[in-house]
Amino acid sequence: MTVIKLSTQAYCKMLLHAAKYPHCAVNGLLVAEKLKRKEGQPLIFVDCIPLFHGSLALAPMLEVALSLIDTWCKENKYVIAGYYQANERVKEHRPNQVAERVAARIAENFSEAALIMMDNSKFSMDCLEPAVIIFEHHDNKWKCRDTNIDCYEDWSEAQKITAVLLEGKSYENLIDFDNHLDDLRNDWTNPEINKAVLHLC
Amino acid sequence: MRDKLRKWREENYRNSEQIVDVGEELINEHASKLGDDIWIVYEQVMIAALDCSRDDLALTCLQELRRQFQGSHRVKRLTGMRLEALERYDDAFKIYDAILQDDATNTAARKRKIAILKAQGKSTEAIRELNEYLEQFVGDQEAWHELAELYINEHDYAKAAFCLEELMMTNPHNHLFCEQYAEVKYTQGGTENLELSRKYFAQALKLNNRNMRALFGLYMAASHISASPKVSAKVKKDNMKYAAWAANQINRAYQVASNPITQCRLPSGSDGTASGGWHSAHVVRSDWPRPLLEELFQCYF
Repeated sequence: MTVIKLSTQAYCKMLLHAAKYPHCAVNGLLVAEKLKRKEGQPLIFVDCIPLFHGSLALAPMLEVALSLIDTWCKENKYVIAGYYQANERVKEHRPNQVAERVAARIAENFSEAALIMMDNSKFSMDCLEPAVIIFEHHDNKWKCRDTNIDCYEDWSEAQKITAVLLEGKSYENLIDFDNHLDDLRNDWTNPEINKAVLHLC
Repeated sequence: MRDKLRKWREENYRNSEQIVDVGEELINEHASKLGDDIWIVYEQVMIAALDCSRDDLALTCLQELRRQFQGSHRVKRLTGMRLEALERYDDAFKIYDAILQDDATNTAARKRKIAILKAQGKSTEAIRELNEYLEQFVGDQEAWHELAELYINEHDYAKAAFCLEELMMTNPHNHLFCEQYAEVKYTQGGTENLELSRKYFAQALKLNNRNMRALFGLYMAASHISASPKVSAKVKKDNMKYAAWAANQINRAYQVASNPITQCRLPSGSDGTASGGWHSAHVVRSDWPRPLLEELFQCYF
């Protein structure tokens, strides 16, 4: 079983994306470094790219996003390795058809792809509890991982930095792919937020 | 400040955090200067406060409104909304039913009942109720759009398309409905739907030539059609032309935005595939002749 680790930057941006659009479903991609991993070496999701908010079930823009982000990944020696989604309703954290389909598509290119669902009920300003549930692909089904396994590169760092950024309303400056389509100057790699995370590390 | 609130109110923005910040200050510090506007501000701030879990602020606003407009249905609806925010859905239902008994044409109360069903995850019931509502109130655009979204979430694209068709008929100049309709058709798939999708993306672009989704959509649809083995050689050639044109426009748009991330290497028309296979884009002339543009934008309305 692959050991999965979420970097602080990836976790932060996922939560900021959900915080920016509390009344919508949001989704995005997770990227890992493209390198040959040795036996037992963990798969680290180094960054996340927020995609859409609101209507997630339409194909064309998703395909555009996957294409453009795939090119960007190739240029930066990354690979699309996962998908995250936060549902619209607070109590609903099961992956729906969209989540399963996109994650399956990613798994075609990257066999150890993970599907991450946000547990909205655990999402708070002080981030005391980890708010994600990781699913893995087994026999064409997505099975939930044991939530007791630590899946963070550094949980206390992730928790502290996310709480600081939420408090400071950094989510107002988070750019997702939808924002990019509204105005091409909006940068979905979010360099400013990445800098802020690094600065707080 | 009141101008900001008015703008947000008129354009139906859901920027609740900002509304609470601005509105709370306005109410606490400048209430006397608002005159009769204060009541509409109370209503707007109350709804935003519910969105931000600020029950304290919501209750304050509600109480002021109750005191001023006793027995009003509009205020009763706000009371119901507060109960919804507290997840006391049964109590909220009772309030809305009471309003409807008094006034069967009260659309706000009916819509709130549908919203409760949506919040409870009862999509099928919500869709059924919304359909019944629309049989009576055929002109309610907001409701048609809500129904389209519900159908999209349930992956019932054919019915979503129907709702968007209603919206396009009554709003022929709205590029967003055109573009969303094109997205639904694209998602449905199949050559016929892809062709329709391309036409509606083109129409959206005609209505607003800065709609990037429409431009990308046009590119994707044309690329997929030209790559399909089922189309004639002429259709293939035409769509490759459209895709190349769109790719060029997209590249130009990125250059204008001088976005450093993407040098925009979209697949060329010759390969046609819109997903795998990367070649650098054809260098195409940017001054396409007028007749081609008209051809691109032909739609069957």
